[in-house]
Amino acid sequence: MPQTHQSVDADNRGFEITYKSSDDSTLEIVKYGEYLYDNIIVFAPGTKDFGGRLDAEILAQFVDAGGNVLIAGSNVIGDAIREFSGECGIEFADDKSAVIDHLNFDSNDNGQHTLIVASTDNLINSELIVGKTKQTGAPFLFRGIGMSADQENPLLLDVLTASSTAYTANPDEQTLAEYPSTVGKRTLLVSVLQARNNARVGFVGSLEFFSNDFFEASIQTGNSKKQSRSGNQELALALTDWLFKQRGVLRSRNIHYYLLKDKSSPRYYTVKDDIMFSVQFDEFVHGKWVPFNGTDVQLEFVRIDPFVRVTMKNNGGKLESQFRIPDVYGIFKFVVDYNRIGYTHLYSATQVSVHPLWHTEYERFIASAYPYYISTFSMMAGVFLLSFLVLYHRDDIPKKKAE
Amino acid sequence: MSQLSQVTDILKRLNDEYQTSTPKKLKLIDAYLFYVLLTGIVQFAYCLLVGTFPFNSFLSGFISTVGCFILAASLRIQLNKANQSTFNVSPERAFADFVFAHVILHLVVINFIG
Repeated sequence: MPQTHQSVDADNRGFEITYKSSDDSTLEIVKYGEYLYDNIIVFAPGTKDFGGRLDAEILAQFVDAGGNVLIAGSNVIGDAIREFSGECGIEFADDKSAVIDHLNFDSNDNGQHTLIVASTDNLINSELIVGKTKQTGAPFLFRGIGMSADQENPLLLDVLTASSTAYTANPDEQTLAEYPSTVGKRTLLVSVLQARNNARVGFVGSLEFFSNDFFEASIQTGNSKKQSRSGNQELALALTDWLFKQRGVLRSRNIHYYLLKDKSSPRYYTVKDDIMFSVQFDEFVHGKWVPFNGTDVQLEFVRIDPFVRVTMKNNGGKLESQFRIPDVYGIFKFVVDYNRIGYTHLYSATQVSVHPLWHTEYERFIASAYPYYISTFSMMAGVFLLSFLVLYHRDDIPKKKAE
Repeated sequence: MSQLSQVTDILKRLNDEYQTSTPKKLKLIDAYLFYVLLTGIVQFAYCLLVGTFPFNSFLSGFISTVGCFILAASLRIQLNKANQSTFNVSPERAFADFVFAHVILHLVVINFIG
């Protein structure tokens, strides 16, 4: 495998690679409760059972613990791989089937039209995941199996789909006996999952997609002009960069919030205070943290529901926003919930309490309230006068009440 | 037409009875009640005109007039000789109640007016 798939090697990107055969009896990824690897590439599509102490469940636990996995398929998919993909919401087509496209196949095809050419038009529009291949790249060579994704799973992304004329079926059968397992653009060639813990899992239907032959192959479909080199290598590099957390990783730090008027941070805030909130966002790009330059990060001031939602100004990675606390008191949270395709999900919540005004802090002697003040004091004077009247007034007619 | 003259007749009778048979003390209390009522109406109209901004001030001003009106009306009922048999309260006792209730009312009002 290292000989035929050398170009995908990541040794020039700072990874330390260990090669193991899938039926190696010493195969294990967890030792004394610690994972031995950060990322796992499984280029063994036919594996029914892994050797050693590894199975689909342990692989799923590895993802739950934050590990990243890249899986490549081929025309035969073993049970272990099927089980793990099922855990991730990806279903490979039946064994022996292949993605067939009678319109977009390469000129080197053997007549079954399974060596298909995937256009960059069917690529996901996210530079973080696919790099520059969407704009500049050549089409991709693909020979392998199609996948379908669980439509209910919001964590899955369709990175590369087949063209609308493709379908997945057994190419050896002369006629289509049953409805193809995937049809048209529903046929996924490359898909990825970003789990809720930001672990990333990639599925590529073709093992040959990563081969040196495909990286260096030229492409020609029908009568279109010949491309000297396929886009496979560029996509493989961008995809593995993303999968193995070299791109699209965010972190937040240095959360500060203070009163705008004297820049102090009191123990609690009072309603209608003007406050400033700032947080530093960093993005991990090829081995180092650089300031994040997105301008669509929103801050929410939440007490069960958001009371304030503002877009923060980006000042060289330092995101800032000032706002006035609403006239509502209680326990609030500053919530920054940034969830964008290609980036890790970043959620940060900081709790503060908001108090009402103290009794002595209310406004006094308001001009428009003077009629009320006057009326109140006139009522008091009225009572005072009435008291004298009740006590000392004597009616003239003697038979009426006296004293 | 005859009906209208009947109504004016009745009102006239009412006024005459009031003028002759009501003690002067109660008439003076009635004048006080009228003054309180007027103050309350003026405040309410002012609030409708100007808006509810110092709402606590409006509430306490308005409540003070309403409270004064009710307390004075109660005092009037208790001082009225015709009701002596119903209440069986001496005028001194009625006045003490009146003063005590007013002390509480105005404490609340002044606290709330801001």
